[in-house]
Amino acid sequence: MTLATLCMLLAALVGAAPAAAHHTGVYTPRDNAITTNFKQLKFSAQAGKFDVARRLFDEGPLRAEMRARVAVLPAGLEARTRAALEAGRAAELERALMIFFVALARDLAVEAERQLATAAPTPATGQRFLEAIWRYYNLVDFVVGQRDARASASMRLAFEDAESAVKDPARLPGAFHRIAEVLGRMLENAVN
Amino acid sequence: MTPPPATWRLPPRATLLVAVVLLVAAEVGGASMARFKVELARWARGEMLRHPGVHGLVGVRDVDERVLDEALFRFDAGLRLFHMHAEGMALVIIATTTVAATLAETAGLRRMLTLLLTVGGVGYPLGYLLWSVLIPAWGVERSKSLVEWTVWVPFGSATIVALLGLLALISIRMVRR
Repeated sequence: MTLATLCMLLAALVGAAPAAAHHTGVYTPRDNAITTNFKQLKFSAQAGKFDVARRLFDEGPLRAEMRARVAVLPAGLEARTRAALEAGRAAELERALMIFFVALARDLAVEAERQLATAAPTPATGQRFLEAIWRYYNLVDFVVGQRDARASASMRLAFEDAESAVKDPARLPGAFHRIAEVLGRMLENAVN
Repeated sequence: MTPPPATWRLPPRATLLVAVVLLVAAEVGGASMARFKVELARWARGEMLRHPGVHGLVGVRDVDERVLDEALFRFDAGLRLFHMHAEGMALVIIATTTVAATLAETAGLRRMLTLLLTVGGVGYPLGYLLWSVLIPAWGVERSKSLVEWTVWVPFGSATIVALLGLLALISIRMVRR
């Protein structure tokens, strides 16, 4: 091996070493069991495979979550979802799932407001609640927008306001209160 | 000035031993990661749940599961990075200390380069292992900051300084030849 080759190899090594110190990987958030099950249901129904969708609903975590939250969800939501699957009515199924995810997002906003009002609000906590709310709401925003464009716009404005409030944690409880209100109204309109 | 020797000279046996031990640790670490994947994840998750404040857990599953998932991802990444860096740095130690032993003319320079390359090369990958071990109880960012300043920066700098020295040494030999 010549000295010139050695020199080039070492130069490459020196160049690579500092960059390696900060290389710790990139995290990409994954779907949880409920959002995964939702996507399975949605795509099965869109493909017209309602028998598959029904099985995925019967055995999946989404239905288990509906049952666990039966006290706070609109009455008969599980039965309505099951009936839509039985009848192969995609629009009804879409509506039932929209109600479910809007309710999940609303409950998170209520919990965020409660926690941030009782303890000293921190930007990290506010940000994490916002991410969790958006993860659920984002799944049904398109359906919400199709049914009520103003409600969808209100939610987006409330969410953007809360995102800006993360930098000013004292505003966070109020921002989550507004999100909970918007989602609550959305839920009432969807159920009635 | 004496011409470079026609044959390669071996670095000190202690350096070779340390490099091989690092290589063994890398392989054992990699094998253990595969064999005890579930147990390691379970332990890390349990420790994280024992330190909710450190990870900013709020007691709401929909919020906490993502925090835990990211911390577990970092924990696993630290172990993987230890495995890969330990494998790589063990070979770097052997290669670079061989060059130092062959080309450095004075015993002092040879010793200094060998010491920096060996210590830096062994210490740096261990930082990733330490980071992983600390994540469950210290949190991702706090443990990373600690390891960065106590392990990665000092040991990584030792390697970089030694490599620059080696680069200068080879360049001087090329110019003088």
